[in-house]
Amino acid sequence: MNSLLDVKKLKVGFEGAKPVNVISEVSFSIQKGENLALVGESGCGKSIIAHAILRLLAPEARIEGSILFKGRELLKLSEKEMAKLRGNELAIIFQNASHALNPVYSIGRQLAEPLRIHQKSGKTDATKKVLKALAQLGFSSPEKYLKFYPSWGSGGMNQRFLIASSTILEPELLIADEPSKGLDPARIKEVERELWVLGKEAKSSLLLISHDLGFVRRLADKIAVLYSGEIVELAKTSVFFKQPRHPYSQGLLGSLPENGFVPIPGLAPALCESPSGCRFHPRCPFQKEKCLREHPELKAREERAVRCFLWA
Amino acid sequence: MGLKIEKLSKRYGKGLFSRETELFRDVSFKLEAGKTFGLTGPSGTGKSTLGKIIVGLEKPSQGDVFYKGSSIFELRGSEKKVFRRKVQMMFQDPLDAFNPRKKIERSLLDILSLLKIPGSKGPDKIRLMLKTVGLNEEVLLRFPAQLSGGQLQRLALGRILLLEPAFIILDEPTSALDVSVQAQILQLLKKVQAREKLGYLLISHDEAVVRFMADYCGKLEHGSLSLA
Repeated sequence: MNSLLDVKKLKVGFEGAKPVNVISEVSFSIQKGENLALVGESGCGKSIIAHAILRLLAPEARIEGSILFKGRELLKLSEKEMAKLRGNELAIIFQNASHALNPVYSIGRQLAEPLRIHQKSGKTDATKKVLKALAQLGFSSPEKYLKFYPSWGSGGMNQRFLIASSTILEPELLIADEPSKGLDPARIKEVERELWVLGKEAKSSLLLISHDLGFVRRLADKIAVLYSGEIVELAKTSVFFKQPRHPYSQGLLGSLPENGFVPIPGLAPALCESPSGCRFHPRCPFQKEKCLREHPELKAREERAVRCFLWA
Repeated sequence: MGLKIEKLSKRYGKGLFSRETELFRDVSFKLEAGKTFGLTGPSGTGKSTLGKIIVGLEKPSQGDVFYKGSSIFELRGSEKKVFRRKVQMMFQDPLDAFNPRKKIERSLLDILSLLKIPGSKGPDKIRLMLKTVGLNEEVLLRFPAQLSGGQLQRLALGRILLLEPAFIILDEPTSALDVSVQAQILQLLKKVQAREKLGYLLISHDEAVVRFMADYCGKLEHGSLSLA
């Protein structure tokens, strides 16, 4: 096994007055240079998985299973060791750029921070690299932005600042949490190009979390569809888009503009109140008696794995 | 009678002594009952500002907006109240549209009390509205942060519908939502429009969404509107 990231039977729950399990037995792996996309509706647990990998979840979170990064068990590392990895070898682009940037520090300072901390770069050296990173993200006169503050920028600009700060150390694995959310098509193209370049030139792997299926289709090699805290379909992107097998995957593709915005009926269940049997059964058009009672396993066959009785 | 937008221009000063920047100029179009005007264009071109001017939340530098023949910037007293009620705006992020410290029921009852609808009729009206937007009554007892984006956007639309508007400015109503929820909200907007004969101004940078929803459309780019 020489996977860059190997997530095995990851379970996440939260303690509290009423303990809840939110992620159940999620397994996937990412090879070096490979892009994997996690897709699914909001609230299905995509970001929780990302935060679990980076060990950023709140203290009341209960994490079980194993997360191997270059053969090291992340769940067993000390906080100090973890801090060394974060931002350096394992970075994340957080959701909601305007809130993820520090409002009281200039962009120049925020972008230089990872260089100063992890590489102990001097000021001039760091500035040079920051300017290069800004230029790469399509800022025509990067010097202008060194003394720029996040509140002065639009959502699209902040998103690009954030990408620059997460990618400036060329991490081996980059987790991008909804990088295209709220951006206009021209900006999405730029973000897409930047992530693609990063994969090709820096040989970074990408864990892409998104509900933008068009974006996912162009960037990811593999796709994992998440529903209510578990993977319901895992396949190569080309195979998946040609013929999705799980009824939920089919519904997702039906909601796309090119397929006429046909919605999936009903609402996604909250993670703390997953339905019994197959978790998708209340919204499934092919629902059978068995789906109400029994929970289907993820079954692998012909280059893909599907969690559905119809597929078995 | 519709909403007539006539030669709107917006400029704003950058800093205290620097020159004014022009956002857009001479933007004119009409909104009609039961029809959707789709407005596209890159971010930062002033689409949202244009929407805010039309509902009277911002003032234009030049030009005017006419509702039923009279300028909305000259409306006073009860006429202004009617206009504010009849022309509504729905925002991109539904979480920002609700008071985080109030339960949903409270937020909705506040709207009804503004309309001077007797307390006894309120719950019935709310129940009917929830049915229209496809939500369970259980959401009334929740706080905004306990609901999903799709549920909140349905509620934002529902709250607007309680006011019985004639026009709704939809400012990126689905860009914060998932594809599957986006499809649900767009279908819901169409259904409500057909029933209530609502006029929409749909602001979106997603051309596929605009193509699906709009009867006619325009693109705001480089400071001017080109109609298609």
